[in-house]
Amino acid sequence: MSVLRVTVANRKNATYEVEASRPLLETLREQGIDLPYGCKYGGCITCAAKLTAGQVEQKRQVALNNRQLAEGYVILCVARPMTDITLEIGVESHDRLYRNPFLDRLQPHELKADIATPKDE
Amino acid sequence: MQCCGPGYASPEEAMRAPCEKLLYTVAIYTGTGIQKPDYLCTIDADPESATYSRVLHRLEMPGIGDELHHMGWNACSSCHGDAAMRRSHLLVPGVRSSNIHIIDTAADPSAPRLHKVIQGSEIKSKTNLSAPHTVHCLGSEIIVSMLGDARGEAPGGYLHLDRNFDIVGRWENSMGEIPFSYDFWYQPRHNIMASSEWAAPNTFMPGFDLEEVGHLKYGRRIHLWDFRKRKPQQTFYLGEDGLIPLEVRFHHNPDSSHGFCGAALSANIIHWWKDPDDEWKWEKIIDVENEPHPEWPIPVPGVISVILISMDDRFLYFCNWLHGDIRQYNIENPHRPVLTGQVWMGGLLGRAPEVNGIRVTGGPQMIQLSLDGKRLYVTTSLFSTWDNQFYPEIRTNGGCMLMVNCNTQTGGMEIDSDFAVDFGREPNGPSRCHETRYPGGDCTSDIWV
Repeated sequence: MSVLRVTVANRKNATYEVEASRPLLETLREQGIDLPYGCKYGGCITCAAKLTAGQVEQKRQVALNNRQLAEGYVILCVARPMTDITLEIGVESHDRLYRNPFLDRLQPHELKADIATPKDE
Repeated sequence: MQCCGPGYASPEEAMRAPCEKLLYTVAIYTGTGIQKPDYLCTIDADPESATYSRVLHRLEMPGIGDELHHMGWNACSSCHGDAAMRRSHLLVPGVRSSNIHIIDTAADPSAPRLHKVIQGSEIKSKTNLSAPHTVHCLGSEIIVSMLGDARGEAPGGYLHLDRNFDIVGRWENSMGEIPFSYDFWYQPRHNIMASSEWAAPNTFMPGFDLEEVGHLKYGRRIHLWDFRKRKPQQTFYLGEDGLIPLEVRFHHNPDSSHGFCGAALSANIIHWWKDPDDEWKWEKIIDVENEPHPEWPIPVPGVISVILISMDDRFLYFCNWLHGDIRQYNIENPHRPVLTGQVWMGGLLGRAPEVNGIRVTGGPQMIQLSLDGKRLYVTTSLFSTWDNQFYPEIRTNGGCMLMVNCNTQTGGMEIDSDFAVDFGREPNGPSRCHETRYPGGDCTSDIWV
């Protein structure tokens, strides 16, 4: 069993050992971190957190658009760590997650993966 | 006729029922940063009571993250003739969790209790459906529109429950070519059901990206169903006039074929009816102009998030959630509505930032009307992620509930100065209030067969 370290930056850099094969929402909640969540299948964004170091695998997520992914957001209910990682959790990490869609339009390459087009060179 | 079952013999009889004394309103913490369950509030609506306009009771759901949204009764006037039925249980679904909470309101109406939870996991495994939305009693049984499949993809379908709240399966025999689901209403004397389109849960739940409308990820159709055959029979393609058609309402008069829907993003009211030649037709009857905003590069659309019709079918009400107004139209001629009333609360245009001492965050959103048509209760939150995009300060201010007095003779509306519930001051912190139902029935709960 591969075990990796998660540092939660906005919880005084508390660290947790988690299994690499399981979603972070499960492994962190089991260790007593109170995390928001909703659908638990990667579709609703409620459990979004910000990844500030390391890498995760989250190909099952369908909630984030490419801009949110570029900002470092991860969907904890389906994301699994690939390396040691550092996260900011909860709505305090959502400063870049929500935007007024009329005032701040997405470019074609910033849409969700299924409809995005490559960025013009 | 001898009254034996729940509800009322007719809309006329419903209008003569006693005034509501209690309201049930859902309030959410999902998406707010407060790690508490969403809950059902009981609110005192009796002006003679010492606790008028206060929250009397809060029933927390068993877990967090449901996003309680719309509700419906186990029984309504559609089973008025069935002495075995009672309007005793409120079905309160969680859109995100797919859990459906069955709440007993009969044992102690002011302090409802949880009777049962139909787990989202059971619904997904038995029916491949998720994201429950509209609940309608159907004679002695219940159907619930489900906006996605178990993976949150469109078009979803209809969950069929029996009177004991056990899953029967899928209600519909076919979804036909329907791409999206949302609200529905049925009018059985015409063997017709109408349904509207929001989007796939995976599209609308994370928030609103305007570009996804252009990529056809949001709805723009209304569907008419053969109600007995349980399959779609006709689609109205509304195009740009009908972007994101949400709440669907037929006239309460069960003999009428007239129905209405609010297209949220187009900010239009769509009307349909059956012609004497038996053809179903539709038209746009109201077009809310976009409004300029000093900080916006484009005018602000109204975003009609809800509509409802008074029990006498004379008045149509709707909210422009981004503009901040509630409108009342006389629809005695449903082809030619006449604006008869308008009030402002919150919204982005800054017309009424404070009402009754409450800083209104959000805009007028869900509305519920008393059976006599005189008291319209209004709440301000739409959906947690969309609130966070358009009204981010709702996280600290919470939502609120206000009441509007409606003139049912000549038309006209006025915000009541004595009624205000500030959900910014809830014991566990600011919450957001959404849909409301009354124990004795209201203007969105009953259908006559």
